[in-house]
Amino acid sequence: MSDKQNVRIVIEHKCEQLTNVNHPPTFKGGPEIADKKFLSFLFLLTLFGLLSCSSDKENSSKKVFNINLDQGVTSLDPAFARNNNNIWCDNMLFNGLLQLSDSLKAVPSIAQSFNLSNDGLIYTFHLRNDVYFHDNEHFANGKGRKVVAADFVYSFNRIIDPKVASSGSWIFNDKVSEKVPFEALNDSTFRVNLKKPFPAFPSLLTGQYCVVVPHEVAEFYGKDFRNHPVGTGPFKFKYWKEGEIMVFLKNEKYFEKDGNTQLPFLDAVKITFIADKQTAFMEFIKHNLDFFNNIDGSYRDDILTKSGKLQEKYRGKFVLLKGPYLNTEYIGMLVDSNMAIVKNSPFKDKRFRQAINYAIDRNQMVKYLRNSIGTPAYQGFIPKGMPGFDEKKVTGYSFNPEKSKQLLAQMGYPNGKDLPEITLHTTTTYRDLIEFVQGQLSDVGIKTKVEVQPGASLREMISKNGINFFRGSWSADFPDAENYLSVFYSKNYVPIGPNYTNFKNKKFDELFEKSYYETNDSIRFDLYHQMDNLVMKEAPVVVLFYDQLVNMYQNNITGYHINALNLLNLKRVQKN
Amino acid sequence: MFPYILNKSFYGLLVMLGIVVVVFFLFNILPADPARMTMGQRSDVQSLEAVRKELGLDKPMPVQFALFLNDVSPIGLHGTDSVSRAKYHYQQLFKVGKDEAIVLKWPYLRRSYQTKKEVSEILRETIPNTLILAVTAMVFASVIGIALGVVSAIKKDSWIDKASIGFSIIGISAPSFFAGIIIAWLFGFVLSDYTGLNMSGSLHNYDPFKGEVLTLKNLWLPMITLGLRPLAIIVQLTRSSMLDVLAMDYIRTARAKGLSNYSVVLKHALRNALNPVVTAISGWFASLIAGSFFIEYIFGYNGLGKATVDALGLADFPVVMGSILFCGFIFVVLNILVDVLYGVLDPRVRVR
Repeated sequence: MSDKQNVRIVIEHKCEQLTNVNHPPTFKGGPEIADKKFLSFLFLLTLFGLLSCSSDKENSSKKVFNINLDQGVTSLDPAFARNNNNIWCDNMLFNGLLQLSDSLKAVPSIAQSFNLSNDGLIYTFHLRNDVYFHDNEHFANGKGRKVVAADFVYSFNRIIDPKVASSGSWIFNDKVSEKVPFEALNDSTFRVNLKKPFPAFPSLLTGQYCVVVPHEVAEFYGKDFRNHPVGTGPFKFKYWKEGEIMVFLKNEKYFEKDGNTQLPFLDAVKITFIADKQTAFMEFIKHNLDFFNNIDGSYRDDILTKSGKLQEKYRGKFVLLKGPYLNTEYIGMLVDSNMAIVKNSPFKDKRFRQAINYAIDRNQMVKYLRNSIGTPAYQGFIPKGMPGFDEKKVTGYSFNPEKSKQLLAQMGYPNGKDLPEITLHTTTTYRDLIEFVQGQLSDVGIKTKVEVQPGASLREMISKNGINFFRGSWSADFPDAENYLSVFYSKNYVPIGPNYTNFKNKKFDELFEKSYYETNDSIRFDLYHQMDNLVMKEAPVVVLFYDQLVNMYQNNITGYHINALNLLNLKRVQKN
Repeated sequence: MFPYILNKSFYGLLVMLGIVVVVFFLFNILPADPARMTMGQRSDVQSLEAVRKELGLDKPMPVQFALFLNDVSPIGLHGTDSVSRAKYHYQQLFKVGKDEAIVLKWPYLRRSYQTKKEVSEILRETIPNTLILAVTAMVFASVIGIALGVVSAIKKDSWIDKASIGFSIIGISAPSFFAGIIIAWLFGFVLSDYTGLNMSGSLHNYDPFKGEVLTLKNLWLPMITLGLRPLAIIVQLTRSSMLDVLAMDYIRTARAKGLSNYSVVLKHALRNALNPVVTAISGWFASLIAGSFFIEYIFGYNGLGKATVDALGLADFPVVMGSILFCGFIFVVLNILVDVLYGVLDPRVRVR
């Protein structure tokens, strides 16, 4: 600033002061009123401060584990354990016959042991006799009674009862005998009669649909059992203000022990429902949450480097744990050439579907769009982490744009000339991923339009075979590859089951049916590999990547283990 | 007067019926299957059929519509068995046939498809939260806005005036979802050690060992965010209308009579200057209830807007219908009240 300017400003300032002196404010009372307003403003601020100071510090000797479930919980009734958050809560409140170990094996829970008849049809479970329901007014004297085999008969029948309309009835529907599916031989012996062998049945039973509920309480509340749950789990239900807060307390009478110490270690679990993930992450940084699991696209870069490491600024502040997650992200293509939308599109040709598969660089995708969360998929539909997964036994598609162009040329579309435009459908959440795919496809000459739809209508279109090219993901309901391969079994065609690509292959069906009668795991896994290879060759899907779990927890938390099914297990967790 | 109100109420009922018809048919042409939305990724036909039956979606559309109307109508035809009694909590008017009756009841809004919770209960839980948020935001905006407006009018062209005009321009131009994130981050995260505020949270908190606590402090940030835009507009409105009024003859007269400045400004000028402000406030209030969704979402505040939008995404028809009907009802009642008020104030309206 020049001296001249400086002088001018000083003069102007002086002038202002002078004018103020010469012309006092028009209204004498002006400042007085302003003062009053200012005072009331101060008063408001003080009130603000007072209210803010009302502390909500917790009882420090008690260990409360704080988590946030951004998706919300729709029901605590295990008959509706259809999404992750419901499952997590049910896993704290209830127990089934069997449970999953960290390595995804079915291990004893309420059943001490079980045996299978030689024909593979009858499972007999021997129950513990020290398992009690949580205390509740609907039991005699309000004390939780002992769990007996008849309780499992009731609970399992409840799942297949059409009046209950459980979202889990598929678990038993086509598997158990129609006459007497479930029997209680005595108080401690429970039996399941199958229609046909199903070697993965023990795995299936570890799911939250198959837990035990007391008929007294479930019948009394009916539909409202959803917010009056009573189980046997490590925690018991205490409070739920929906959409705001949920509290579970330690079950003092829980039957599982860690050595000689009674589980669980925590005194309570407090759950909040902040929908905005970024806000939830900040609450985690502020130590208001002990655990955080959902890294969203919008701030992934803030937390992780492109190679998937924790950013410098967060290192040492909390623990980051990564592990495989049984979830396959893929793009589905309708393959049934009898359908009009396939017949009139290039999707009817296997070579076209293979060309799409070769055109996508999955390494780049996972590294730059996912900050290396996930494993690029060069194998089959069955994801990494699934028992029996072997990256050497199944071959998928590598990134090979030349090969892709070659295939297109063979079809009569050199460099994509005359190739009709295809439309890829997705939801907003996956938009970046799908636009990346769009770019990669255009590099080899495949023109793609991206259509973003709301989740509900996309789901409806897919399950009615209304579109021929869509993004999807498939996560394991139970840790057996049957779960993944059933997506290609021809008898599961839409609308009967989840075969959304309308894949039909005689050889595949034979192998699939054969696997039901194979109890030897390694032989069965071999069948699974054969089927997976077959699917890959026919290419009804583009497998993009196998998902990964990223869990973060505070430094004072111990005893937390990650498992590939993404099941939150808090009974051995300690807060120091 | 009475026939007039009756007449208006009848029209109100027709409007509600119109809402039911429109929302019902819009939902039916949406390409989304509510039954499928209640299932996990894996389902089979048997389970899907069971769910359809349970939700009443297996019946033909006209039947579904008739049944729905019967449920929401305050006068309906229901069975006299104990299940229906427990479901509808009705007052029997007279019997029809052997085991049915024409009854008087509160509209039955059914249960959410997604959660199986009674819709009336969802409304009961979320409406008070939204109302509290809207009312406090409006009070905050009016009190601070009028105060700042008055001060900047009487101290025209001073720094207070300039600051408050600048502030109100920022307030008007910042969209609430943007302002919400900034405010949450600044006061709830960066400065949280000083303010003691949370970034998010609802009115209710629960200490696992002490029980329910009301956390009013969680109202501060959403309230300020929601009140920011109306506040900015109220400042501007108050200021300009105050300047107009202060230039009028009767103010000079009041001053000439030797009244104190305090009574000239607050008693004579402000009263008249507030007219347009009050009109604006009442208009804003309605839109605050509807417009609080983003705020509710960002601050994790459990209100009606959030519940409705969540339900829309999941094709949860009963919840959406329930909340639209509720809003419709409020508007109908307000309209009737305003009409009646006009009638009282201006007899010519009634004569027509």
